[in-house]
Amino acid sequence: MNRKTLIAAVLGLALLAAAPLLTSNPYYVHMIGTIMIYAILLYGLDIVVGYTGQVSLGHSGLFGVGSYTAGVLFLKLGAPLWLIIPASIVVTAGFGALLALPALRVTGPYLAMVTLAFGTIIQILINEMNFLTEGPLGIKIPKPSIAGHKLSEHEFYWLTFALMVLSLVVVHRILKSQLGRAFEALRGSPVASDCMGVSVYRYKVYAFVISAGFAGLAGCLYAYSEQYISPNTYNFELTVLFLLAVIMGGRKTRSGALLGAAIIVILPKLLDDLEMFRVVASGLAVLMFIGAVVGIAKKMTTPKAMAIPVVGTIALAGFSFWLQSITDWRLSIFGLMILFVVYYLQDGIVGFARSLFARKSNADTRIASVSGKDAVMVAAHAGAGETGTDLLVATGVLMQFGGLKAINQVDLRIKRGTIHGLIGPNGSGKSTMMNVLTGIYVPTAGSIEFAGSSVVGRTSSDIALSGIARTFQNVQLFGEMTALQNIQVGLHHTFNSNFVDVSLHTPRFNREESAATERGLGLLDFVGLGDLAFEEARNLPYGKQRLLEIARALALDPQLLLLDEPAAGLTAPDIKELVAIIRKIRDHGITVILIEHHMDVVMQLCDTVSVLDFGQKIAEGKPAEVQANEKVIEAYLGGTVA
Amino acid sequence: MLSIKNLEAGYGKVQVLHGISMEVPKGKVVTLIGSNGAGKTTTMRAVSGMIKPTSGEISLHGKRVDGLESYAIAKQGLAHSPEGRRVFATMTVTDNLILGAFPRLTGSRPKGDVPGDLERAMDLFPRLKERRNQLAGTLSGGEQQMLAMARAVMLNPEIVLLDEPSMGLAPILVEEVFRIIGDLKARGVTMLLVEQFAAAALKVADYGYVLENGRISVHGEASKLRDDPAVKAAYLGGGH
Repeated sequence: MNRKTLIAAVLGLALLAAAPLLTSNPYYVHMIGTIMIYAILLYGLDIVVGYTGQVSLGHSGLFGVGSYTAGVLFLKLGAPLWLIIPASIVVTAGFGALLALPALRVTGPYLAMVTLAFGTIIQILINEMNFLTEGPLGIKIPKPSIAGHKLSEHEFYWLTFALMVLSLVVVHRILKSQLGRAFEALRGSPVASDCMGVSVYRYKVYAFVISAGFAGLAGCLYAYSEQYISPNTYNFELTVLFLLAVIMGGRKTRSGALLGAAIIVILPKLLDDLEMFRVVASGLAVLMFIGAVVGIAKKMTTPKAMAIPVVGTIALAGFSFWLQSITDWRLSIFGLMILFVVYYLQDGIVGFARSLFARKSNADTRIASVSGKDAVMVAAHAGAGETGTDLLVATGVLMQFGGLKAINQVDLRIKRGTIHGLIGPNGSGKSTMMNVLTGIYVPTAGSIEFAGSSVVGRTSSDIALSGIARTFQNVQLFGEMTALQNIQVGLHHTFNSNFVDVSLHTPRFNREESAATERGLGLLDFVGLGDLAFEEARNLPYGKQRLLEIARALALDPQLLLLDEPAAGLTAPDIKELVAIIRKIRDHGITVILIEHHMDVVMQLCDTVSVLDFGQKIAEGKPAEVQANEKVIEAYLGGTVA
Repeated sequence: MLSIKNLEAGYGKVQVLHGISMEVPKGKVVTLIGSNGAGKTTTMRAVSGMIKPTSGEISLHGKRVDGLESYAIAKQGLAHSPEGRRVFATMTVTDNLILGAFPRLTGSRPKGDVPGDLERAMDLFPRLKERRNQLAGTLSGGEQQMLAMARAVMLNPEIVLLDEPSMGLAPILVEEVFRIIGDLKARGVTMLLVEQFAAAALKVADYGYVLENGRISVHGEASKLRDDPAVKAAYLGGGH
């Protein structure tokens, strides 16, 4: 976070803290309190929706669990505040783990349905479990007491404020740590996450659990704030409002969550009052107009694209002055405004504002201490063992898809410290072999021994951590993350810090984080991308994306590196650079399996070459021998080498 | 046929193309050469409407097409075989190819003989014929690449943009791809070609443009570029 944003954030928060002193109307104090409570939930929801990219329609259910944990503990046991808050968080986090289970199996619209069902079931259970929850009657809870002193409306506001700020800091720290990077990586490419040793399975559960914890805290505070809870509150509409708040405010921002919360709380209330609505509609039209003018002036958008929103908001303002009474139109207008924001500002309001005022340079985040030491040296230490001994031995590997034998009884013997080429026609099973070696497919039969232990049946992330790293034929970077962050995901295994370390920024976390940054930059330098560390991966040209993938794979400190067509789509000068990099990698003691169609690359680099055709090994040997082999020429090389 | 004037384009705040101008005459093959990140793919994407140019003109037989949506440009007879394997993974090979002829089936392009062209496309790529009923997503990378190319041809286009057609193909298939490009050229198809094998591309092309950092540095007859020592040193490299 740079200075300006920090100052803005502190000023904003100070204003928020002072709010009860600025107004004597308890209605407004309560309203702002509610916004802060929703914001806590939205911070958590954003982890799931914004970062891991999962849709949850179950968060009103979790909110309800938090409220009712507080309500029931107070009603049945008369438990004090200091017990109720942690209990609400823990119980709701447990429910979050439950909600995560379907997320491991289904995605997209199916996940949305399952989480929706979860939310509905919670609401029904609260309604039905009379003995615990008093059913539809609801539970009354007075404002909490601390050390015998019953909190006033204002004091409770400040308690909420303090917890909101605490949540803000904790969420922010989580998301800026290796945990946050792991969440984002899941969204970018699940298969690459697994192959970087970040278990998709585990981190999806973490994301839901942490998210639910915040929903629990929010629910608990909500119960105290309203002083009465009943099952009807935690319905489908609330869950949709939460999602809308994240989307409208802007995902992946904390200010967006606060803004979104403010919108869903204030907007319906503003629409109660015609005068107020006229002011809001006019203000919106003016803002939209200014936004459009700035946008066009900065060449970010065309007059044509801006015409409809500008005309639309002006029409809405005109409509507001034409209206005699607003009561009949309230919900339709609310709906229209939401539709409008979601349609035109897909990055949310905060995202839109950022893109208007964004500075191109990342100079303020630039870390000066680029380590001079060669980051790959660390990787080399992992590669203990003597050159020339067997690192990987695959025997009789069979991979069958239905009736198709994609790999048929293939033996491979990879010697330590060598570059082993794997060539063959398209569709001969090379990439399938890679997927078998990295645990993406479990072979139908055969054994694979890596550094003395079997990898068959182990998960991809487990295999990755044991020392096999890979790149992908069709590049699998984490697109929305910077080049450096991509590599830091690869360095995930170097972190021992847990949730607490991350939240408190303990020395251990700080040490690990700065080491990861240093090594990440070192690895970027190694592949010649040092200048592009803060560029988003998806904005890099194709050839650089391929190099970034190699650097990310090296971050795993692998003993064995699998490169799947690294030179595809590269022009001659880029290929030269690539060949030099692969040589350097080998010289650092890392064994390489290279799938490649550029025969000159294969000939220059490989110590041994195996040739696959129709899933079978048809030749193996020194590059020159293979190149002269009749069978290989017929199946693969053709008359002249292209 | 295709004419580009002072084209500027980019992604978000990053400007990639800084005013490039080029011509692709009817019936000719023109190739675009440059290192990674020079803006070859961006040019292709701007021409086919996948990104909107920030300024400049693109016209297809005299009619401005810049600012149009991709499908509208396709209706004008421009087919784009994009970089990386963009096939309809859950549909069969045959269905993928028929979708390539979509504007012909809906009447926005002259219909011609779609079933006949389907057979001819399959003949051009025997590998696809063998797998005509297989789902495109189950094809190997190289086969998907061919499918993308065959699908572009199915539009019966006036001009084809080929972005890295030989990427990820076995050497024997790379030859095949260049043979096919030669065949298409002989049939009078106009092409704009981006290829990693710049030397081979210059062999099949009539004219070439060299892109450097989003600007055209050199252009000329393909045969002349092939002998240009600067081009040779920078782009033609080891023995392709």
